[in-house]
Amino acid sequence: MHKARRRVTRADRDESRPIQGRRSTPLTRNRRFSAALLAPALAVAVLALAACGVTPQTTLEPTTEAARTARDLLMFVFWAMVVTFVLVEGALLYCLIRFRRRSGDGIPAQTHGNTPLEIGWTIAPAILVVVIVVLTVPAIFSNARAAGPDALKVRAIGHQWWFEFQYPDLGVVTANELHLPVDREVEIQLESNDVLHSFWVPSLRGKLDMVPGRENKFTIKPEVTGIFPGQCAEFCGTAHALMKFHVVVETQAEFDAWVQNERTDRVPPATALAREGEANLTLGGCVACHTIRGTDSAGILGPDLTHMGSRQYIAAGLLPNTPENMRAWLSDPQGVKPGNTMVIPELTTEQLDALVAYLEGLK
Amino acid sequence: MATVTATAPDTRTFAGTAWSWITTVDHKRIAVLYLVTSLAFFMLGGLEALLMRLQLATPESDLVSAERFTELFTMHGTTMVFLALMPLSAAFFNLLVPLQIGARDVAFPRLNALSYWIYLFGGIFMNISFVAGGAPNAGWFGYAPLTDTAFEATHAIDFWAFGLQILGVSSILASINFIVTIINMRAPGMTLNRMPMFVWMSMITAFLIIFAFPAITIGLVLLLFDRYIETNFFIPEGGGDPVLWQHLFWVFGHPEVYILILPAMGIVSEILPTYSRKPLFGYAVVAYSGAAIALVGFGVWTHHMFTVGLGPIADTAFAISTMAIAVPTGVKIFNWIATLYGGSISFKSPMLFAVGMVSMFIIGGLSGIMLGSPPIDSQVQDTYFVVAHLHYVLFGGTVFGLFGGIYHWFPKFTGRFMHDGWGKVHWLLMLIGFNLTFLPQHMLGIDGMPRRVHTYAADMGFDLWNMMSTVGSLMIGFSFLIFIINAVRSIRHGEPSGSDPWDGGTLEWTIPSPPPVYNFAHIPIVDSRYPAWDLKRGGGHTGAVATAPEADAEADEPDIHMPNPSYWPIVMAAGMVLAACGLIFHQAFILLGAVLFAISLLGWIEEPAA
Repeated sequence: MHKARRRVTRADRDESRPIQGRRSTPLTRNRRFSAALLAPALAVAVLALAACGVTPQTTLEPTTEAARTARDLLMFVFWAMVVTFVLVEGALLYCLIRFRRRSGDGIPAQTHGNTPLEIGWTIAPAILVVVIVVLTVPAIFSNARAAGPDALKVRAIGHQWWFEFQYPDLGVVTANELHLPVDREVEIQLESNDVLHSFWVPSLRGKLDMVPGRENKFTIKPEVTGIFPGQCAEFCGTAHALMKFHVVVETQAEFDAWVQNERTDRVPPATALAREGEANLTLGGCVACHTIRGTDSAGILGPDLTHMGSRQYIAAGLLPNTPENMRAWLSDPQGVKPGNTMVIPELTTEQLDALVAYLEGLK
Repeated sequence: MATVTATAPDTRTFAGTAWSWITTVDHKRIAVLYLVTSLAFFMLGGLEALLMRLQLATPESDLVSAERFTELFTMHGTTMVFLALMPLSAAFFNLLVPLQIGARDVAFPRLNALSYWIYLFGGIFMNISFVAGGAPNAGWFGYAPLTDTAFEATHAIDFWAFGLQILGVSSILASINFIVTIINMRAPGMTLNRMPMFVWMSMITAFLIIFAFPAITIGLVLLLFDRYIETNFFIPEGGGDPVLWQHLFWVFGHPEVYILILPAMGIVSEILPTYSRKPLFGYAVVAYSGAAIALVGFGVWTHHMFTVGLGPIADTAFAISTMAIAVPTGVKIFNWIATLYGGSISFKSPMLFAVGMVSMFIIGGLSGIMLGSPPIDSQVQDTYFVVAHLHYVLFGGTVFGLFGGIYHWFPKFTGRFMHDGWGKVHWLLMLIGFNLTFLPQHMLGIDGMPRRVHTYAADMGFDLWNMMSTVGSLMIGFSFLIFIINAVRSIRHGEPSGSDPWDGGTLEWTIPSPPPVYNFAHIPIVDSRYPAWDLKRGGGHTGAVATAPEADAEADEPDIHMPNPSYWPIVMAAGMVLAACGLIFHQAFILLGAVLFAISLLGWIEEPAA
């Protein structure tokens, strides 16, 4: 159904009247635009689906003020962008449908521009971004604020491909599992031992890079107890995807107990099997890289294993700490974590049993 | 005295045909070489992407090893940026700039051939690494100190660094050539203010290249010094700073984004008016906003480094400059939409791709504003959100725009149409596949999936989005096959198009398709922005091009002075790349390359120019 359309007139050519409206035409043939409409429809579907499913590493469930600031800003800007998207794509689709060529079309009005309109749509995006900047700047500075004098200090050091955590004031050194007390300010200083890494626990804060030769710092105050996953977020070589860690936020009492335990030497092996395991440390080459306080093992290249058995994960946040996983890890480190530098000779089943029993006993 | 016959290829034999291509200095044939080569590399980069997507389709997959995966994403990024999209844009510069400004060739035809051969050999050089001990594996951004010999002792990084240097020479030579061509060789009457918008964007892109590439050139020289003679520019133990590399890289890298998008914007600015039968709305503002984007684009580079820890003052300053880019970009989009308003819009395949470019680029621009806010960026930086964002800009924007350009100018290259129905199938499949691939990646990023990971755990909630993304990427791959078959078939069997199938407004539509070697029998005189429309429609404007298309027919072949073919460009390019091989394989190559280079330089100088 084609309605009669106005032909080009002298008035249309008049550049002082640049945009000529036309009488409305029913939108009967818009099937060809269904694909273009798919994009926004899919966007909505994606967001709806996002609410389902379990996403432990999501940025949308903050447990600190810093992470909340980022989330709130993200949601605000996101919705502002959705509104902009609908308006602009709507205008685009309107023009495409409304002004599609129909039989009998002549040469349309040759408009070249319209200064007031163009000034208008220069100012419109400017206003939008000024609003976003005004909201962004205070958030930048609040995320960068320094820690108070009572803050717990932690050094986080990136290694290919694991995280070392030191508590200089408490004399604790551990790896891949960062314990923090709830409701207490923490200042985390980030360093790297080799290449770039990035410290990222989405529920606690946005990421900050670990740069060799520099010391980055940030301050957070965890508000919720629980275990929160984190991951290296700067490409750091082959096993980058497998460089993970966990943050355990616990009550002050639990934290104090954990610190107390960490400061002691290793628990002496309780069973014959475990004692054999400790004897195998040298045989396995463990002593060259790992420290287990109270034994001959005093290497510094790999994670401190003094309280390995008490950690929830092994191989840098990769596998739950079970005897089966420990056995799999020790028998094939390259298979579990390609590229890692752990060198371990082939061990007999008995030697492996002993080592697993020993490590699992290092509570 | 040479005439057009001097450059006419002896195509009676295969060897003659091959030789004519090897020695050609004709901008149109060089355009074809760029087009075919860049599409081949586009396919290679696409295959690398598909392998990554197959690996990531399911959690904890073993299809691709971790080591191989790092090579794949490094070479995918490097290939797509330097070997596919930039040269595909160069194909359009070569074909269109002389035709649209009414010139018979570029300013320096032999230099133009040299640019192409350096690009081809540089691209092959870089990809030889896959079979010569390992491909580059530190990401297309090659962050120090991972690129140091302490962490990568093989030549993988050397292939990458020398390859980029070689390609940089090609890009800078081509840019100088096009700047000189555009400034000096416009037809009489074609003021800057009457240049087609594609020529404007080509010129801005060329300026961006000659100002941006020196930064990465310096960075790569320092990196190679670190690797070969043990300097410590980026090594903290020796007093260097890895962050210095990031600055040098992104001072280049951010303008590079505009190098990739501006030509596509120029193409879209030609296609939208043609298929709406209306002039580009707000011509001056579209041109200025392109220049503004380019200029401001040099002042935003640390938004790639918001998580490095440069401090709140630097983050604030660069957040503001980044946000400022949204203004000229928005202006362009509004002007495109206003071009459609009141038009008579025909939906041929080129127009569908152009509209796809505008609508998808909007999404990339909007997610870019989100990333420009440092607190938001701190969460989604280095996640799949950024992967999604950059693909909405470079695929949704650049690739859609460039494909639109191929469908639009294919008749000008060949004298035949590409099949419009299959073109629409290609468009629809690519649009759906593209959104299916990259929309879910926004959610992956927000849900906490980092980039450049070869695997992810099953309990992270990433499975569904990744599977969707992989299915979408296969659709893109399939749509590309349709395109290739359509293009190859249309070269010989496409419907003949005549010289002006789309009712074009710019000069290239006033001459035959494919254009004669000399392009214009008589150099046209231009007095408006759409001279071909004036010629066809008469009235409205005064004057037109001086000659009607008929006057250019080959029957009336005039005695036109054209440059001779030359084999020195390919020899010189081979010399340069051989010298680079010398620093990787055996020192003897350095000598061989240098000798070849010197001989070709002398030959080049002594060769009669015409």
